Amino acid sequence: MRPYFEKMTAFGRELKPSQHKQTAKNRTALETAEADIQEQVETVKAAGFLTEKINARGQMTVWQRLDYLVDPDSWCPLHMLYNPMDNEEGTTNVIDGLGRISGKWAVIIGFDNKVMAGAWLPGQSENILRVTDLAKRLNVPLVWLVNCSGAKLTEQEKFYANRRGAGTPFFRHAELEQMGIPVLAGIYGTNPAGGGYQSISPTILFAHKNCNIAVGGAGIVSGMAPKGHFDMEMAASLIDKAKHFKAQPPGTVKTHYDETGFFRYVFEEEQGVLDGLKDYMQDIPAYHPKFFRVAPPQDTQFPVDDIYSLLPLEPKRVYEFDQILARLVDGGEHMEFQPDRGPEVYTGLCKVDGFLVACIGNRQGYLGKDYPEYADYPGFGGKLYRQGLIKMNEFVTLCGRDRIPIVWFQDTTGIDVGDAAEKAELLGLGQSLIYSIQQTDIPMMLVVLRKGTAAAHYVMGGPTANRHNAFTLGTVASEIYVMHGETAAVATYARRLVKEDEAGRPLEPVVEKMNELAQEYHDKSRPLFCARTGLVDEIVAIKDLRRYLTAFAGAAYQNPKSICPQHQMILPRIIKG
Amino acid sequence: MSEEILAPLAGKIIQLNLEVGQSVEEDEEVLVIEAMKMETPVFAPGSGTVSAIKVKEGDQVEEDDVLAVIDN
Repeated sequence: MRPYFEKMTAFGRELKPSQHKQTAKNRTALETAEADIQEQVETVKAAGFLTEKINARGQMTVWQRLDYLVDPDSWCPLHMLYNPMDNEEGTTNVIDGLGRISGKWAVIIGFDNKVMAGAWLPGQSENILRVTDLAKRLNVPLVWLVNCSGAKLTEQEKFYANRRGAGTPFFRHAELEQMGIPVLAGIYGTNPAGGGYQSISPTILFAHKNCNIAVGGAGIVSGMAPKGHFDMEMAASLIDKAKHFKAQPPGTVKTHYDETGFFRYVFEEEQGVLDGLKDYMQDIPAYHPKFFRVAPPQDTQFPVDDIYSLLPLEPKRVYEFDQILARLVDGGEHMEFQPDRGPEVYTGLCKVDGFLVACIGNRQGYLGKDYPEYADYPGFGGKLYRQGLIKMNEFVTLCGRDRIPIVWFQDTTGIDVGDAAEKAELLGLGQSLIYSIQQTDIPMMLVVLRKGTAAAHYVMGGPTANRHNAFTLGTVASEIYVMHGETAAVATYARRLVKEDEAGRPLEPVVEKMNELAQEYHDKSRPLFCARTGLVDEIVAIKDLRRYLTAFAGAAYQNPKSICPQHQMILPRIIKG
Repeated sequence: MSEEILAPLAGKIIQLNLEVGQSVEEDEEVLVIEAMKMETPVFAPGSGTVSAIKVKEGDQVEEDDVLAVIDN
């Protein structure tokens, strides 16, 4: 199939100096917004004790461990700002992402041992479940840096129990293992109770000599009959006992290496644990990239940095999606699927790091005369119409058949509405796209370039495609909501305005509420909100987008669950004709 | 030789970055049209000097209306 893939059709155009000049303000605005996000990230990284304090105890921080473990330039962090329960610590207390270890892609996660010695916090289990889902979707190993002191006892009701509570990851680990996906754990520090199960549920345990893992902790000061309450007499007795309490944490290396053998290895030095992980990752089964690459890897034809000039931060401005895509894929080349139908969406095959990926994205702007064909109003990019929905259904179905991972790009205001749209079957076509996605078994990722709105955010590979969407990225231009705030305010208060007006009552209070609602929609759709609540898995700098695409493609092709030989793919042949 | 800048779509002129006698470069953004709550930039089809401007900010235009003329 070399004739199909080695040299595809070139697309995209070089930007002129005048275009760079005219968009300089936009670039500055994007970069400033990205710096603000990075500031928030640095705050999370600085949570808890100072690095120096941890080091003074002879320990590395999770950041230092990651820095040592992960191959340079391969780290793609996820969930850095995720804090859905608004913890005062500013974090869910796990750090995760995609990265290579010894040249092999893995999903990597560690407890932040600077914060409460890596304790369970609210929202953490949701974070971990996203990570286990990611390993499952990409079919790559999950590597843990375990350092978990147990639960934040004062907030246990927020995370201990429940269907997706702190115990659920242990079942996910078992599920991954039963699917043949290994979970490797480097273990540090004291890991009682929940920490014990975090340690024992992985596949192979690499232990630091000072670590311990156990069903229960060191033992609480005991020997006092419960009175049903605490009083000053009890307090005095507790003080006396606690001063003399000298229990050692159970489950040390002596027990779990020498006797039970749970620890496969024990290392003198912290770095030794990481070397052990690296050693095993070197030997995990993985296809060499040459097996699935359709062409040698190529740099982008145009600088990725151009996207700062191409993607308007102002949500009302239209732009050329194809110009952005041409800067994210190898060589600025593609094979576009059905270019003469459904102009509101791009569908095509591209290469990322030499691997074939399918790309789908919203185009922007006026779509030309007589489109959509079923309506008497003009069609605009960002919206989805009948042809575009049918095209995406066909493309996704064929990608499934040909086992081609999909990268979705969203900047959508929703699916077309109204009687004409209903007669054009758009409700059914939207759900059909959901069905088409669901019946494939290919990994997908999403970049919300700007807007993710209404059902279009669902049907275009959104995070609601739980089994397929590996992760969702946002940019500093992202905004995600069911509809624009002003539209919501009109929908909510239009009738009330009529009622108040007919009753002769002042309208100002209603108008005030409308403005409040519109403002609330604005505040709860910003990139930082989306990252904190998990509407996206990470806000990524535009200059890093290609790195995430490369990680996604590399991981997706490292150990695919199902293969279509390149010469038996049908999609490239349909495109060529 | 003259080149016309045509409206790519129907809408309202909300920004006009042109003056008669001004030099423009090909692909330079010369005005913005608002339609369907979106702002569409219009670019100069070629380089030259603006010899005529047929619209002003606030005007409603139709698709293919002549907005300005550039002399190459």
